[in-house]
Amino acid sequence: MKSNHPHLAIICLEDEPAVLSAVVRDLAPFEDAFQIVPVESVTDARKVLTTLAEKHIPLALALCDHLLPGVSGTEFLVELNQSEATRAARKVLITAQAGLNDTVKAINEGNLNHYIAKPWLPEDLRAVVRDQLTSYLLVTKTNPLPYLSVLDAPRLLEAMQRNNLTTDE
Amino acid sequence: MDQNMKRLLTAALGLVLLIVPLLLPLDGLSPAGRITFGLFLFAAVYWMFSPIPIYATSVLVILFQLALLSNASPLVEFFAFPYATADAPSADKFTGTLAHPILILFLGGFMLAAGAQKYHLEKNLVRVFLSPCKSPKLLLIGVLGVCALLSAFMSNTATTAMMFAVLIPVLGALELDDPLRISLALSVPIGANIGGIITPIGTPPNAVALGALAEQGIRVSFASWMAIGTPLAIVSLVFVTFILLKMFPPKAKRIELNMTGKFDRSTRGIMLYIVGGSTIVLWATESIHQIPSSVIAFLPIALLPALGIVGTNEIRGISWEVLWLVAGGISLGYSLKDSGLATWMIGLVNWTSLGDTGVIVGFLFLSILMANFLSHTVTTSLLVPIAISLGTSGVLAGPGSLAVVAIGIAIASSYGMSLPISTPPNAIAISSGAVETSQMAKVGAVMAVFGFIIITALAIFVWPLLLK
Repeated sequence: MKSNHPHLAIICLEDEPAVLSAVVRDLAPFEDAFQIVPVESVTDARKVLTTLAEKHIPLALALCDHLLPGVSGTEFLVELNQSEATRAARKVLITAQAGLNDTVKAINEGNLNHYIAKPWLPEDLRAVVRDQLTSYLLVTKTNPLPYLSVLDAPRLLEAMQRNNLTTDE
Repeated sequence: MDQNMKRLLTAALGLVLLIVPLLLPLDGLSPAGRITFGLFLFAAVYWMFSPIPIYATSVLVILFQLALLSNASPLVEFFAFPYATADAPSADKFTGTLAHPILILFLGGFMLAAGAQKYHLEKNLVRVFLSPCKSPKLLLIGVLGVCALLSAFMSNTATTAMMFAVLIPVLGALELDDPLRISLALSVPIGANIGGIITPIGTPPNAVALGALAEQGIRVSFASWMAIGTPLAIVSLVFVTFILLKMFPPKAKRIELNMTGKFDRSTRGIMLYIVGGSTIVLWATESIHQIPSSVIAFLPIALLPALGIVGTNEIRGISWEVLWLVAGGISLGYSLKDSGLATWMIGLVNWTSLGDTGVIVGFLFLSILMANFLSHTVTTSLLVPIAISLGTSGVLAGPGSLAVVAIGIAIASSYGMSLPISTPPNAIAISSGAVETSQMAKVGAVMAVFGFIIITALAIFVWPLLLK
């Protein structure tokens, strides 16, 4: 079901404009159902979070590069994990330059859900995003019906059957 | 209009209507009847526009009844109602609707469904049914049939969700322009909706009708219901198969369905099959042993937890709000009669000129029409009490007719399936992306007309013989 006003957001954080537009292009199948917000720095990302909070649009997924000017992508993921409003957001690093220490920190303190090594294949990226967004809906018990056609429908439907999500017949 | 504004307005409208009958000069209607009238209008607005969830409205109705109509309320005396506090209905009458025998019957069905789901019984049944279906026609028939069979015992929504989980890989493998995608996606909610009419526990509207009839001392056995519902369901499934094949002729020649799995052979799994099988057999043979179906429902309710087949997780996962929803409907129906509102309302219209047939036709038509836009349970909860009042005031002749019209309303509501909002199975089908609203509306409209004609014919000519 297509929705003109997506109720969930995806943040893509990447300082290289060319790489950022590649990520956004690869995520095109999701753009009808989700609001995809490209940002080039953590400062911009924080501003976006404020705007989303004002519009009551929850953040479902953050796709972050690690190496950024100023605050790193890993630090940003840790921030997301510390804030009540964004803790449920799925967190994915998409990077070539994160060292062991940063990766460990992203996992332990940022509750990292997935790590994508650059360069990536578009279909792999889409599979990860589909899987993570599906998990987000299940964990937050969001009504899955508007997202069935773009996400992992069998998984969402089985959970729906298990949880008797809608039963008013 | 903004969504919040609409909610506020409908919420306010309902509350205003709650008071209006107290202020109007309604000749001959007692204060208790006026309160019930207001309560009925309030429930109608809240159920139809749902400013709050419909199950919340149901328990709110019970709260209002306790506060304004029961012997536990100090208000009853304060308003100097025609009966003294001692004559007002006992508070237990209203709170007791939450444990009404019909709801116990449903709870038994829910427990069986929870056990079946935990041990993947329903998925294995689907596998057994669908694995021989290699051609598009057979697959369509198989899906319609197995959805109907499962939803006769499980909720229509759970059946639909499970079936789409199975079918989505099949739909994905078909060519995008193959009409089989549309017919398959439609066959799931249609099969599930129709399956709901097969047994009393198939879908909540059935409970509303049976609950209201039980209040009149009319007991309809599990088997009598099935004798009404099963032939009708089979005829409807055959009809819809033809319609779907005609409207959406499949292009694919062969279908590959890769379903693996096997029946759970663990001790608990086998005990589940035994308890489930015995319960269903006992339900179907009520006429022989005379044990009410609600009593038999206690077998799964007690045995499945005792045997460790369902645990706290499954018990918490039961759709308790559906039971509340039905309880509110039964409770409201009780006051309608007890307060004298029903008798008063009936006096307003010259029903006898319509005759039994006219009344039945009218209610069936309203039920199918309303059920396309409203929850089926709400439709039944609003119509059945009125129909029952007609029966008890002598407009409908005899208890047989009373059962015919109440069951007819419940069954007709299951044929309201032309829009995504008609019922949750339809919403799931549209969300799958394989079918469009206009296609659903076309088939749904055909089903509504078909349902109206055949249910009317059966209700007038056949059911009176079955429900003597």
